[in-house]
Amino acid sequence: MQVANVKGEKRSAGGRHANERLRRRGMLPAVIYGHGEAPQSVAVSRHDFEIALHALQHVIALEVDGAKQQYLVKDVQYDHLHKDPIHIDLMRVDANERVRVSVALELKGTPAGAALGGQITQLLTDLHIECLLIAIPETLRVDIAHLGLNQSVHVRELSLPEGVKALHSPEELICICRLPKAAVETVATATGEGAAAEPEVIGRVAKDKGDEAAQ
Amino acid sequence: MAGSMPKRVKWRKSQKGTLKGNATRGNKVSYGEFGLQALQPGRVNARHIEAGRVAASHFLQREGRVYIRVFPHRPITAKPLEVRMGTGKGEVSYWTSLVKPGTVLFEVGGVSEDLAKACLARIAMKMPVRCRFLRRGHEL
Repeated sequence: MQVANVKGEKRSAGGRHANERLRRRGMLPAVIYGHGEAPQSVAVSRHDFEIALHALQHVIALEVDGAKQQYLVKDVQYDHLHKDPIHIDLMRVDANERVRVSVALELKGTPAGAALGGQITQLLTDLHIECLLIAIPETLRVDIAHLGLNQSVHVRELSLPEGVKALHSPEELICICRLPKAAVETVATATGEGAAAEPEVIGRVAKDKGDEAAQ
Repeated sequence: MAGSMPKRVKWRKSQKGTLKGNATRGNKVSYGEFGLQALQPGRVNARHIEAGRVAASHFLQREGRVYIRVFPHRPITAKPLEVRMGTGKGEVSYWTSLVKPGTVLFEVGGVSEDLAKACLARIAMKMPVRCRFLRRGHEL
């Protein structure tokens, strides 16, 4: 397991404006919690953290005032475009503690069914696992080279590293190789001559009937 | 009226309202593998959505799958030409969806990334708001 080095500093001022000023300086607001201790507000270097994020590293070594400690990246809050991180949750953990994390599933190989026109549809992109902190895999590779047409890979068929337990149902589907369907739009469109010119107004018919009865 | 609209509504006409803030829901690729995300606020009406759908289905040639993530729920009224002001609100002219920055408008699945990129670029040309290509990815 690789651990990314991230520089940080203590943070006392809270609130929207203080955090905006922090982000303009190239820092990200973060909070450290866990192990029954009081939560601590810190600011971490955005540049360092984005390198760790890009490398899919779940554990970072945060250096605050010369003291370095390892933390688990518990949650990352993104902006509305899901592009830039705006806040980080860090959790205090021991090296031999079992933790629950989400790991990316990577499909490897070209399925045998592709020669017959089959296409891979990936239904599960992340796998929730429980393992030791020191044994968190960066990604989990799924070999799909053997997949024929209309064959699939389930969670139970995964070969997970030792000590890693999947938290999904064993029957959950990861990917399937099948012939492409005709393009189907999920939202049916009301076009053409059969389409109603105006939608029905809820309660209007009942009200009209009521008016007629009164007359 | 071209395109889709609700089957049943509680009220025939609605007030104009404001379009503030960013999308806090519907801003992730959830169904397909690639998506088209709005970067500006705006009204995407039923005709825009229909134009995007037709462009995608022509381009993909019955391959893959297209998901439409927005629906025109909001009626927009208009008065006929050469009519004086007053005498009440106009009739419903078209239906639109209010799009905030970050909203995923379309998704494509079951095709290669290059094909999805080209397809979503064609859809983006039909949209009244600036858009960007989005990939479903792993988040820590």
